[in-house]
Amino acid sequence: MASKDEGAFWNIISYLIAGMGFWGAAGALLDNFLKTQIFVFIGIFLGLFLSIYLIWVRYVRSDPGNLGK
Amino acid sequence: MNLLEGAVRPGFRAPDAGDFVFPSIFGDSVLTTKPVVLVFFSVILISTFFIASSRKALVVPSKIQFAGEMVYGFVRNEIGKDVIGSEFQRFVPFLFTIFTFILTNNIFGIIPLIQFPTMSRIGFPVSITIFVYLTYHFVAIRKHGLFKYLKDMCFMPGLPKFMYVILAPLELATYFLIRPLTLAMRLFGNMFAGHLLLILFTLGGEYMLHDKLIMQLFSVFSFGFSLGFTFFEFFVQCLQAYIFTLLSALYIAGALADQH
Repeated sequence: MASKDEGAFWNIISYLIAGMGFWGAAGALLDNFLKTQIFVFIGIFLGLFLSIYLIWVRYVRSDPGNLGK
Repeated sequence: MNLLEGAVRPGFRAPDAGDFVFPSIFGDSVLTTKPVVLVFFSVILISTFFIASSRKALVVPSKIQFAGEMVYGFVRNEIGKDVIGSEFQRFVPFLFTIFTFILTNNIFGIIPLIQFPTMSRIGFPVSITIFVYLTYHFVAIRKHGLFKYLKDMCFMPGLPKFMYVILAPLELATYFLIRPLTLAMRLFGNMFAGHLLLILFTLGGEYMLHDKLIMQLFSVFSFGFSLGFTFFEFFVQCLQAYIFTLLSALYIAGALADQH
C-alpha cells in the first residue's frame, strides 16, 4: 500500500535524526565534561549505526518480503 | 562583459524572513495581522463550503455536494480507513478538519490578492501538531495504559538484552521529540521556502524590468520561473496537506496497534 510506504519512509527519517541527535548530544555532553572533542563524533556515528540497526530490525527482519522490493 | 557592467545595481533587496512579518491591519493587536485574519477567513470559507454542500443532501448529488463528498470521501477512505483500520470512524472528523484546514491555508499562498500561505508562520503548524501529539498519546494511553505503552515503545521483542539500554532512548526520542518536530517543521519549511522562491522570482523580475534593455529581456525568464513555481507550489501545497494528515493517521494507527 502506497500510504504505508510513505509512513515507513518518514519513520525511517525520524529514526535517523533521533539516533544521531540523541547519541551525538550525549557525546557532546561528555566532551563538555572531559574537555575533549572526540566523543561527539563517536556519538553521531554510534547513533547512526544504531538507528540503521533499529530500522533493519523493524522494517526488514520483521517483514522479509520487503527485501526483494 | 561590458554589456553587463553596472548591470547589478546596488539596492536589490533579496527577500528574507522579514517578508513574513506583517503589521497589524487595525490597531496594533496581534489578532489582526494578515496570517491571523487569513486563518479566520479560512474557517469561514471551509464552514460555508461544507455546510452548503451538505445541507440539501440528495441521492443524485448537485455539483457542490459532489465536490464536498469527494473531499470527505478521500479523507475517510484513502487516509482514515486505509491507515487506521477497523476503528477509523471516530478519527475521521479530526483528520478531515486537519486536512481541509491545512489545504485551504496552504492554497492561500497562490490565490491572487491573498498570496500568503498561513502555514509559513511556524506558530500555526506547531499548534496543529500539538493537537495531533496530544491525540495519539492520549489514544495510546487510554487503550494500553501508560506503563504498557511506554514498555511496548522501549522494548521491542527479539533483541539481545544489552541492546535495550542504547536503543530505548532512541525510541523514546522518536516518539516524544522527533515525530512532532518533523511534523511541524516539514509543513512550515515547505510553505516558507515555496513562498520565498515565489517572492524572489517575482521581485527579481520586477527589479530587472527597471534596468537596461538586456536585463529587461532576461526578466522574462524570472517571471516565467515565478509562474512555473506557482503551479509547482500548488502541487506542493496539496501534497503537504496530504502528508500531514497521513502521518497523523499513521501515528494514531501506531498508538492503537498492539505492538509498536
